This record gives sequence, C-alpha cells and structure tokens, in this order.
Amino acid sequence: MGRAAPSKILLVVVAVLTICFAGPLLFVLYRNVRLGADFGEIFSSSRTWGPFGRSLLLGTSVALLSSIVGTSLAWVTIRTDVPGVRLWRLLAPLPLVFPSFVGATALISGFANGGVLEQLIDPLGIDLPELAGFWAAAMVLTLFTYPYVFLPVAARLRRMPASLEESARLLGRSPMSVFLSVVVPQLRTSITAGASLVFLYAISDFGAVQLLRYDTLTRVIYSNAFADQALVMALSLLLAVVALVVVWFEGRQLSQQLVFADSAQRVALPVRLRLSRIPVLAGLVAFFSFALVGPVVSLAYWVLRGVRADRTSGSLVISTDGLANAIGNTVFVSVVAAVLTVLVVLPFAYFSARHPGRPSRLASSVVISGFAMPGLVLAISFVFWIVNSDALFRFYQTLPLLIVAYILHFGAQAARTSEVAVGALPKGVEDAARVLGAGRTRRFFTIELPIIMPGLLAAMGLVLLSTMKELPATLFLRPNGFDTLATRIWASMDNISLAKAGFESLILLVVSAILTWVLVLRHSEAAG
Amino acid sequence: MRVRHALQSTNMKPISRTVLVGLGRVGLVAVALLVAACGSSASDEASGGSLTVYSGRGEDLIGPVLDLFEDQTGITIDVRYGNSADMALQIDTEGERSPADIYIGQSPGAVGFLDQQGLLTELPADLLSRVDAAYQATSGNWVGITGRVRVLVYNTDLVDPADLPASVLELTNPEFAGRVAVAPSNGSFQDFVTGMRGMLGDDATADWLAGMAANGAPNYPKNGPIVDAVTRGEVDMGLVNHYYLLEFLEEDPSLPAANHVFGAGDIGSMLITSAAAIVGSSDNVDEAQQLIEFLLSAEAQTLSANGEKEYPLIAEVGAPAGLAPLADLASVTVDLNELADGLTGTQQLIENSGIIE
Repeated sequence: MGRAAPSKILLVVVAVLTICFAGPLLFVLYRNVRLGADFGEIFSSSRTWGPFGRSLLLGTSVALLSSIVGTSLAWVTIRTDVPGVRLWRLLAPLPLVFPSFVGATALISGFANGGVLEQLIDPLGIDLPELAGFWAAAMVLTLFTYPYVFLPVAARLRRMPASLEESARLLGRSPMSVFLSVVVPQLRTSITAGASLVFLYAISDFGAVQLLRYDTLTRVIYSNAFADQALVMALSLLLAVVALVVVWFEGRQLSQQLVFADSAQRVALPVRLRLSRIPVLAGLVAFFSFALVGPVVSLAYWVLRGVRADRTSGSLVISTDGLANAIGNTVFVSVVAAVLTVLVVLPFAYFSARHPGRPSRLASSVVISGFAMPGLVLAISFVFWIVNSDALFRFYQTLPLLIVAYILHFGAQAARTSEVAVGALPKGVEDAARVLGAGRTRRFFTIELPIIMPGLLAAMGLVLLSTMKELPATLFLRPNGFDTLATRIWASMDNISLAKAGFESLILLVVSAILTWVLVLRHSEAAG
Repeated sequence: MRVRHALQSTNMKPISRTVLVGLGRVGLVAVALLVAACGSSASDEASGGSLTVYSGRGEDLIGPVLDLFEDQTGITIDVRYGNSADMALQIDTEGERSPADIYIGQSPGAVGFLDQQGLLTELPADLLSRVDAAYQATSGNWVGITGRVRVLVYNTDLVDPADLPASVLELTNPEFAGRVAVAPSNGSFQDFVTGMRGMLGDDATADWLAGMAANGAPNYPKNGPIVDAVTRGEVDMGLVNHYYLLEFLEEDPSLPAANHVFGAGDIGSMLITSAAAIVGSSDNVDEAQQLIEFLLSAEAQTLSANGEKEYPLIAEVGAPAGLAPLADLASVTVDLNELADGLTGTQQLIENSGIIE
C-alpha cells in the first residue's frame, strides 16, 4: 500500500535520538580504536570463546524459558477465569524489581544447600541439589526476567480480538489447542520482542550469574577492568555486535506482524478452565512460591535475624535514617524516567510502523541493542561523553542527566513494545478518520491513543520497575548524597548488613507493587 | 466493520484522556523539579573550604569520621559513595575534570591503578611516616588507612581446627581438595596474589595457583558469598578477608564458622589495606592533606577501625581485641609499582593457572 514519505521533522527527531542512544556503542568503538586491542589474539583464545559460548547458551536458554513462562502467565491471567486473577496480574510483573544481586542472594539463602528450605525439611532427610552452575543461573535469571515477556504479551492480549479464539473454541478446540494454534501466532511479535530483551539482559548480567557461579563473558570484562582495558572494550564490542545482530533479525518479525485488530472494545469471554482450574491454580501458587514468596521469606528471615540480634546485643542493626528520603527519590526518578522514556521512544514506534524498512529497523536496533552493554561499561560511557562536553559537564552528577541516562538505557525496554502497539493499529481506521475530516491531533487522541495505550502502559511498567532497581548508572551519575532504595540496598549488602538489606528490599517490593498498580495496572484494567 | 467499531468506541475516550492528563501532570511536575534541581546544584559551588571525597568505603564505616572532621575544621565535605573499583575507573574516565579531591578505596589494587595512571598527587613525607612502609605506596602517592587480614574461614561443624595448616601454601595438599573456596575474580584475591608475587616471586605464586586449580578449589564471586556458603556448610573453608565473618556473626551469633589466621609471617595472613589518596586534578590540596592527616590521627583511626573489626595502621592505636597483633602478619606491600607488569601480570597469572572454573 502506498505510504507518504516520512515527514522531515520525524526523520530529524529519530536521527538525533538514534545518535544519543548509540552513545555507549560509539564510546566502545572509540575506545577500541584508541586502545587497539589485539583482536586476533583475543578472538582466537579459548579464554574468550569459553565464557562467550556460555553467555550465548545462558542468554538463549533464559530467553526461551522466559518466553514460555511469560506467555503462559499472560494468557492465564488475561484470558481465563482462574481464581484470584487480579492478584496474579498484580504479582506477575513484580519479580522484575529485585536487583539481580539481591534476588540471587535471597534465592541462594532460601534454596541453596544449608539454606532456609533445607533447614525446614531437614527432619525429612532430603538434601537439595546444589544451587550453582548453568541450570541454577538459567532458572534464577528466568524468575527475574520473565516480566519482560509477560508485560508486553499481556498488553497484546488485552488488545487482541477474541473472535478468532472464540470461533476456535466453538469448533471444539481445547483451550490448550486454541492457545497454541490461535493465540501464540498472533502474539509472536510481542513474545520475540520480550525474549530478545531477556537475552540482552542475560548476556550483560554480572551480579546474579556470578553469585550462581556460572562463568560468562561479563566475568572476564569485570575482572579485567584494571588489568586490561583493551580486552574489556573488545569484549564489550563483541557483546554489542551480538546484540545488534539478534535485534536486527528479531526486528524482521515486526513487518510480518499479524494484525487482526477489531477495535471494538468488547471484553473477551474468559476461557472457562473448569476442571483444569485446580492444576492451573496450583501451578500459579507453585510458581510464585519460587519467584516471589521464596525471596520474600529469605529477606524476612534476614530481617528477623537482625531484630533478634538487636535484642540480645542492644545495638541497632536496621537503621531507617534517610529511608523516607530514599523512597521519595526512588519513586520520583522511576516515575519520571518511565513517562519520559515512553514519550522519547514514540517517534521510533511511529517511524517503524509507518515507514517500515532498513532505516527504521536500524534505528530501533540501535536503541534496543544498547541494553546488552554491561552496567559498568555503560556507566563509564555516560561519564565519558559528559566530561568531554562542556555543555553536558555543567550538569554532571545532577538529576537531569541521571534521568537522561535512564531514558537512554531503558528506551530499549519501551521501544519494541511501543512499536508492536503502534504497528497493531488497524491501518484502515486512520484513513477513515482522515476522510471524515479528523485532524492529526484529534486522530491521535481519539483513535490511536486508546488502541496503543495498553502497549504504552506495559512499556512504562517495564521502565518503572527497571529504574527502581538500576544501580551502575545511578552510582556513577547521581548527585552526591542522592540515595535511592537500590543504592541503599547495595550499600547494605556491601557492608554485610543483611538485615538492613532485607528490610530495604521488602520496602522496594511494596513500593513497586503500589506504583505498578497505581500507574500501570489500574489504567490497563480500565482500558482493557 | 472495523472502522465503524473504532469510530464508535466512544467509551474509550474519557479513560485514555484521564490517563493522558495524569501523565501530562507527572511530566510537568518532573520538568519543574528537574529545573529546580539544576538551579540548586549550580549554586552549591560558591562556598569556600570544601572537599569532594569519592569513597569506596561505605557511609556506615567512614561517615562518622568525615562528620567529625567537618566539625573540627569547618571544611565542608561532599561525599560520593560507591564501589572502590568503579570509582577508580570513574576518576580515570573523568581525568582532568574529576570533581574528586580525595579518593578513599577498600583495596590497594584500585588505588594502585590510579597511581599507575598518573592520576594522584604525592603525599607529604610527615603524613607517610605515620604508617609502616609496607602499607603505603613507594611512590608516596597513597597511604593505608585501615587493614583487613586475609584468613581461612571454616565451618566449625565440618572442620577440626587441629587440621588447619600453618601456611596458606599447604592448601594445595590433597586433603584440601575441593574444600577451599576462592574468589579469583575479586579485587582482594587479586591483591593477595600481587602480595604473594612480591614476597615469593612469580614462579612460586604460579605454582600455588596451579596447585589450587588442581585441587578443584570452588569459585565464588567475592568474600561475602564465600563466608555465606561456609556458614551454610556448602563448602568447608574459604580464603577471605577476616572482617566479613565478624559482620555475619553480628547478625547471627549462632553461625557455625570461625576465622583461622595462618602462622606468623605467612603470606596467607597478609594485610589488605584500605587507602586514601589525593587526586591529581584537585584544587584543594591543602584541605585534602588536612583530611588525610586527620584520617591518620589517633581519634579517627579508632573510629575508622569499624568498631574494632579492622586494624588501625598507626602505632599509637593497637590492634583490636581478638585479632592477631599487626607485627605477626606478613609485612607485604601490595604495591603495583614494585612489579613491572602490575595488575596485568597478576591477572594473567591467575587466568593462566586455570584456577577460574
């Protein structure tokens, strides 16, 4: 179908933003040129390929597992009549808020050898398997990253016409068969978008993977930070290239997106689970026992231990000085970053949806692939660009640039979800509205926004939860003395004040639940 | 059909409008606050007699000392807390424009990196003379503040103290196979290996690392997780800094673990110092020297020793109760300048040994 060329304004905006988003990548390129690493030696060494292979294996596995978990959860919580459906919808995105080092430590404390669970079942004489290595890392990362799939998929499901599913059901297909043959194909773009974020997260994570003792490329990067910066930059470039390739091919899905959008705001009839209600409910309970209850029990256990020690020694282990301030700061930066990030990626979404092709695919690939940059390299790249620019240096270590860093880092999370949402706009609607004389602004507010809103809210939810736990950029760019819950938790863990870390992590969980409800879910429920 | 449905879906408008108005309000408030934040940060700079400290030592440990300094001198201190290694890299990236006057780090490796990059200013001799030559840079560019001793933490239910060796070098023996956790990627292990290179030479160090690798020493990311694993009984023993177990015991005195200090003078019980240095780009060298002088005063040393958990480094303040006297510890400088290839060499020795799983 013939489409007008993109407007000049849109092109300029997208081009400028793309360059900003490419900042960390350009920094890594520049440093590679300056430091002149011996690529031949680095890439012929088993010390590169071993950890690199493990990074890829971990990333792929976690992406696959998260797709299964996230999609199933989304379908069960949006489309079925499982008991307590609103509770599950609220709980499902929350594991994303645990900083991975806290989440992993809590799970280790709960489920590893000699941990809380093993002590509880000690009388039964059962020993748990060792919580270390590939499977442990894959499992734990899945538990903390599946929301990258869950949120966009749930948003798509809210907007997907139920008519196809209902027809299939009327024709006698079982719920499982309907799910696999009718629902999943329509969700494909959302699932792969989420899965690629999970992949990028997994190959760049350092904290959780290290704690679970699986040796990946990020370990090589972090342990050589002083010893061999050329190696660090070469390996960061390798990760960036992998990320670009993965996202580029994932982006191809978008142009093949299946759009059966009937925009009628008709609530889909929930799938009656009947007898499968019990197993589905049991599955949900079991899953959340691992993903949420497990970590929460461990955190609470740390707190109780500290309180008990307080009573005996009379000293105060859990200090709450400045906690209210940190909560306020956390809420402020995460809400601002979430709203602004979604606004910033909207031009990309419109550009790809309205003008699909290599330029738009390249632009969004740059935005998204930056997510694979290891936290330390990312933070240093921001510092580098800021101190080398007179204009930016005036704002070094102030809130505005911290927020900009969040937007540039988390734009990746909002980009694809927004693209999928805009791409799902039924093409005829806009033309019809135009024919009927509706102006651009009016069309956006009355027609497009209601349809893309669930997608934008999902994108906001992802950025919100991620900003709340963000650490490397926060530590490098925050104003002196500006604490967030995440920086406090980090400091407590660093100082082996587990009771304090546990308490602060529980607060983070509660705050994130409230914010997710108030800002994201409440509106999604209303809109869908 | 679709078109008609869409245009008729009037029930959607109010909802999305409310959402949008809500978001708009949030955006406006955000912009207002950001502008306010910019304004306030710009006006901070005028006041004189101030220092910016980048501290890899946590607020709980060093905050009270810095407060005391402010009270006594009237010099205001702006502290930035973070990870020691990260902050050294941050100062390196900031270069001439670094806002930092003083860097305080937990490890000689991180401050040594700054020294090697030529980013530090030499300290006056009278400050350096307060601390044993082993615990400062030969360049005179950094000085130790407090110390943590390397130990073997062990699970008291699983290990008989009588079986523990007098030297860390014995841990390569078969009876310790698979039982001693290490953190080969962590800064304090790297510092320990650098110290071993200085004391025993590269060949002996490579042999020991290879022996540990052959013994299948389980890898952990850092000190805390090793101590945690030992208290849970996941692994019998681990090479760590002494202070972590003390912190764990403070929260749960019933944990079945203890620290084993190796024999007097053994490299296994070397001291890892936290260190302070003046950043080369600082315009406040006088005030910065005053702060370092204060950090080395008896009053501050007692405070900095973290409630008797760490070693003060000046002669006037003795070792904390329950810890081996400073004189018994291996007197080793972790001074990267002493070794031609510094940290790079240490890292290569570690990686070549195969100790990383």
